Amino acid sequence: MTGTGSARAPTRWPRRLVTLLAFAMPVIFILVPLAIFLGYSFFSVDHGEIDYTLTVANYVRFLSDPIFLPVFWNTCVLCLSVAIICVLLAYPAAYFLTTLKGRWRYMLLMLLMVPLLMSYVIKIYAIRSILGLNGFLNKALVSLGILQEPSSLFVFNMNAILLTLTLLLIPFAILPIFLTLERIPPILRQASDDLGASAAQTFMRVTLPLSLPGVASAASFVFVLAIGDFLTPQMVGGVSGFTFGRVLYSQFGTAYNWPFGAALSVALAAVVVTAILLGERFGRNRGASV
Amino acid sequence: MSGRDSLLLLRRSGLPGRRQGPSMNEKSDLLTLRSVSKSYGAVPVLHDVNLAIRDGEFLTVLGPSGSGKTTVLRLIGGLEPMTSGEIRLDGQDISRMPINRRPFNTVFQDYALFPHLTVAGNVGYGLSVRHVPRKEIARRVAEALELVQLGSFAKRYPTQLSGGQRQRVALARALICRPRLILLDEPLAALDLELRRQMQEFLKSIQREIKTTFLFVTHDQEEAIGMSDRICVMQAGRIRQLGTPHELYYKPNCEFVARFFGENNLVPGTLGQVQGELRSIDTALGRLICSVAGQPHLKNAPEGACAFAMFRPEALHVSEVHDGKNHFSGKIVDVAFAGSSTVAIIAVGEDRSAPRLRMRLPSRFSGSALSASETVALSFAPREAHLVLS
Ligand SMILES: Nc1ncnc2c1ncn2[C@@H]1O[C@H](COP(=O)(O)OP(=O)(O)OP(=O)(O)O)[C@@H](O)[C@H]1O
Ligand SMILES: [Mg+2]
Repeated sequence: MTGTGSARAPTRWPRRLVTLLAFAMPVIFILVPLAIFLGYSFFSVDHGEIDYTLTVANYVRFLSDPIFLPVFWNTCVLCLSVAIICVLLAYPAAYFLTTLKGRWRYMLLMLLMVPLLMSYVIKIYAIRSILGLNGFLNKALVSLGILQEPSSLFVFNMNAILLTLTLLLIPFAILPIFLTLERIPPILRQASDDLGASAAQTFMRVTLPLSLPGVASAASFVFVLAIGDFLTPQMVGGVSGFTFGRVLYSQFGTAYNWPFGAALSVALAAVVVTAILLGERFGRNRGASV
Repeated sequence: MSGRDSLLLLRRSGLPGRRQGPSMNEKSDLLTLRSVSKSYGAVPVLHDVNLAIRDGEFLTVLGPSGSGKTTVLRLIGGLEPMTSGEIRLDGQDISRMPINRRPFNTVFQDYALFPHLTVAGNVGYGLSVRHVPRKEIARRVAEALELVQLGSFAKRYPTQLSGGQRQRVALARALICRPRLILLDEPLAALDLELRRQMQEFLKSIQREIKTTFLFVTHDQEEAIGMSDRICVMQAGRIRQLGTPHELYYKPNCEFVARFFGENNLVPGTLGQVQGELRSIDTALGRLICSVAGQPHLKNAPEGACAFAMFRPEALHVSEVHDGKNHFSGKIVDVAFAGSSTVAIIAVGEDRSAPRLRMRLPSRFSGSALSASETVALSFAPREAHLVLS
């Protein structure tokens, strides 16, 4: 161990620089913009000019106006629903993947991840054409006899947003669940069987609890991605599918009220941070290995 | 509740459904493997294994790495399907019985404790999946933890335990269901020497107390000798010998077992005549006389067959008294002090291919009577020497 002392001296400087950069990057590109936003949220706008006197008027408006808080709340519920549906659909898929042997397992996983490589806008267009009045979904439901005639249930409304976000974000839910499921040592399931548990009991008492961290990560991923999305609601939501992301977007765009937009972003950021913290809290494995 | 009481409660005496053996003195067979074979794909791993496990015994499966010990355990436990053969419990075929119905529990090599459950949750698992009432689970968990001396650890998680403590949790978890047979796959392999010794004694004492059959896997022959009622030696997917530690030590039936069990002197030669319970063998050391008592196959082997004369290092003595049997002289090449005993390596004859023997003597404070490059007269008693066919 004597060699390391002398070897470390010449590398000390570059190493410190790397450390500095590693901390500087997130500070410059993430924390500083966030701080600027936070600052802006305490300003106001007067005839298109930003007034730099500090005020909490933006927050008061957000909390008291009859429009914003309900939209905010509905959006949270929508994204929570998306997260829950994604997890419910992703779990069986991920579980099925872990039952496959060797090569097939990763082939199929890659296939499921392929949509991530495609353009977001193209995917939304594709889904929109599936959901449309003459889309695949309606045609299928009519030809199966479930519907008499095409329904506008999934056209330009909240349902359309829900379905589209779910379809778009499901790969993000499959991956963390698959990874935690795969990391559960098979010997633990065997030990459970050996102790007399049925297959269902082994799943409920061993596999499921040990995979909950992955479920929490998946849900928080999907929720955060969904709530930050304004493009999807814009494209498939029509007039009735009004989400918080769209409100926010309009404040920076059409309304040109940056300070109020910033205040709304801060509210959104608070929810996102909470979701991430919750995901992190439950995503941690109590006893990583045996 | 004291530890002693809990021992009494865990004892499985007089449970209904227990088979009455043909004779009360003779231990009856609990489990029998009949020509069991196992292949992974095209690779055969076990060949025609036959094994009878007696009720209440401590049976050790011993063998080098890759000999199929774990596989035998997994087949019995039901973790792996057999390729052919059958397994009988109390005479009834259980080959197709699913794992969770078999009245056996396993202590896995790396414990396989559930990380998300406390010690109490782990130990009570087997009872709770059988829907035993909560109160009874709590009581029996407390008893089992008492038994493995972990009474105060119930609320901890496995990651908060030491290796030896996890080991004991795994044991408590296995025995709380009162299995007919406990399968232990190298449970002590991960422990350091001192802890290992303690755990060996501990396991043995628990086995004596709860009177449950233990099938124990190890590749440590010393461990096997110290703990087992009987030992089953495996090599390359076959059972080479099954017997008491004493039998295996003194009467190995093949060269593999003779070499596997501790230090041994094996001198090749050809078989000579039988005289009562003795038989001669012609070797490079001259004509040696060995015992064949209780080994009819050696008594009946044809004259001139190739065999080994086998005697333990501690059977060899320095002796000037010449009674005409098993007497030869050799030159001490090396003397090694090994604590309580001293081992001398002895070359018999001049050339390089001459057999080298080991002699083990009790150590004494005032120095060994032996010194290197000394020539000594040696002998061993015929009843301490045996034959092994090669
Ligand atoms: N799942 C498997 N697939 C293929 N071959 C296997 C599998 N499990 C074990 N084997 C092979 O079976 C043989 C016996 O393995 P086993 O685990 O029973 O050995 P062991 O005696 O327990 O060895 P060790 O002392 O190293 O634990 C080995 O040659 C091993 O490579
Ligand atoms: Mg093994």
